Amino acid sequence: MKPLTGFELLRPPTLVGALEMMSTLDDAMPIAGGTDVVPAFRDLGPKPVHLIDLGLIEELNGIEEEDGKILIGPTTTHSQILASKLMEEAAPALHDAARWIGSVQIRNRGTIGGNICNASPAADSAPPLLVHGAEAHICSLEEGHWIPLQELFKGPKMTVLEKNEILGGLRFHWVKGVGSSFQRIGRRKGFTLSVVNAAVYAERDGDRLREVRIALGSVAPTPIRAPAVENKIRGRRMSEDLIEEAATASIAVAKPIDDVRGTAEYRRDMVGVLVKRAMHEAWRRAGGEL
Amino acid sequence: MVNFELNGGDVYVEAPATMTLLDMLRQELGVKSVKKGCEQGECGACTVLVDGYPMTSCIILAPQVEGRHVCTIEGLVDNPLMKELREAFMENGAVQCGFCTPGMLLSAYALLSENRRPTEEEVKTAIEGNICRCTGYVAIIEAILDAAERIAPD
Repeated sequence: MKPLTGFELLRPPTLVGALEMMSTLDDAMPIAGGTDVVPAFRDLGPKPVHLIDLGLIEELNGIEEEDGKILIGPTTTHSQILASKLMEEAAPALHDAARWIGSVQIRNRGTIGGNICNASPAADSAPPLLVHGAEAHICSLEEGHWIPLQELFKGPKMTVLEKNEILGGLRFHWVKGVGSSFQRIGRRKGFTLSVVNAAVYAERDGDRLREVRIALGSVAPTPIRAPAVENKIRGRRMSEDLIEEAATASIAVAKPIDDVRGTAEYRRDMVGVLVKRAMHEAWRRAGGEL
Repeated sequence: MVNFELNGGDVYVEAPATMTLLDMLRQELGVKSVKKGCEQGECGACTVLVDGYPMTSCIILAPQVEGRHVCTIEGLVDNPLMKELREAFMENGAVQCGFCTPGMLLSAYALLSENRRPTEEEVKTAIEGNICRCTGYVAIIEAILDAAERIAPD
C-alpha cells in the first residue's frame, strides 16, 4: 500500500498549546487514538494537514466524579471505560457499548472523544451518552462552553466544532439507582460496525417510569434521541404492553437508508427489536420487575 | 528522532511522522515478526504490545511511541508464559502459514497475563482483532485454553 504522506504531526503537552495550534495553523486537525484518522489518510491520499496529537495532554484523559457529575476526558480509551467500575455503575449503557467498539487492539487505542467527533451515525458511544443526557465541552482559546451532545452532531461525519475548537470533555449527571442499556446488531458479533444500535435510560418510581430516554444510531444522518416516544411513555406504569408501544413508536422515528451494512427496511424492524431489549434490560437494572 | 524502549532496549530512530510504528519496526529496526496485512487496524497481524496493551502498529504514527515500551514476540523469547503459548500453538495445530501467529500470540499473551483462567468466550474476545485465514479459529482457541491450563493447572 502507498505510504502515508502530506501531514505533519504536532504533539503539544498542554491543552492551551493544542488550542493555539488549532487557531493559528492552516488545516489543523486533532488526532487522538488515530483509529479513524490514520486509515482515512490511506483511503483519501495525501492531504496537507497539521495533525494535533492530543495524546500527551493529561487533563484530557480519565474518568472522574465531581459534584454528582461524571466527567470523561475525550482521550479516555474504550478500554479505560470498560475497566471503570464507576462507569459500570453510573452509565451501564456506555460501559456495555465500550465492549462492542472495535477489537481489543482498537479499544486500547481508540478514544471516546474520537468516536464522538468522527460523528459516524453508527458510533456506539453516542446513544448511551445521549440517553444519559451528556453535554459536550467546546474548548477554544476563548472561554469554553457546554452544549447538549445532540447539538454537537451536524450530519454524517460532521460536527459543529469550528476549526479552532476541540472537544474538551463530556459530562452527565450521575443519578443513583438508574438503569440503562445499550443494544446493537452488527453483521457478525465481534469487531464490526453497528447496523443499528439503541440505548434506553430508565429511572424507576415503584412500577412507574419516572424518567425515560431513548436514543438510536445508524437510522438517521446523526445519532438521535426519540423525544416523541419518551413523552408518550414517561410517567406511565411499566408493562410488556408499554414496551411494545415504545418499540412501535420508535420505528416511526427512525429514518434509515439502505447501505452496504443493511437495508432501511431491516433497520426499521431492528429498531423495534433493540428498543424492546434495551427497555427490558434498563428496567431490570433500575431494580424493576416485569 | 524517536526514542522508545523496544523489547527492553533503548532505541533511537530517525523516523518521519508519516511513518507508522509498523514500518519503523520492519524497515528501520528489522523486526520482521510484525506483519503488514490490512494497514487499517483490522487484521491484527501487526499487533504489538505498547506499555503491555495490544495495539495494531499500522495505525500508530512513529512519534506516538516516544518514551513508551513496545514489545514484540522477540522480546518474549525467554518468557515462561510465552513459551507455554508457543508450545501449545504447535501441539494444537494452531499454526499453518504463520502470518497471523505473532499477533495471535501477543493477544493471547496479553489475555493470559491478566486472566490466568479465561473462559472460551474471553479467549474469543481477546483475539477478535486477529484474523486467521488458514487453520481457522478452533485450533487457536484450543491452544490458548491449553496454555492457560499449563500455566495454572486447576
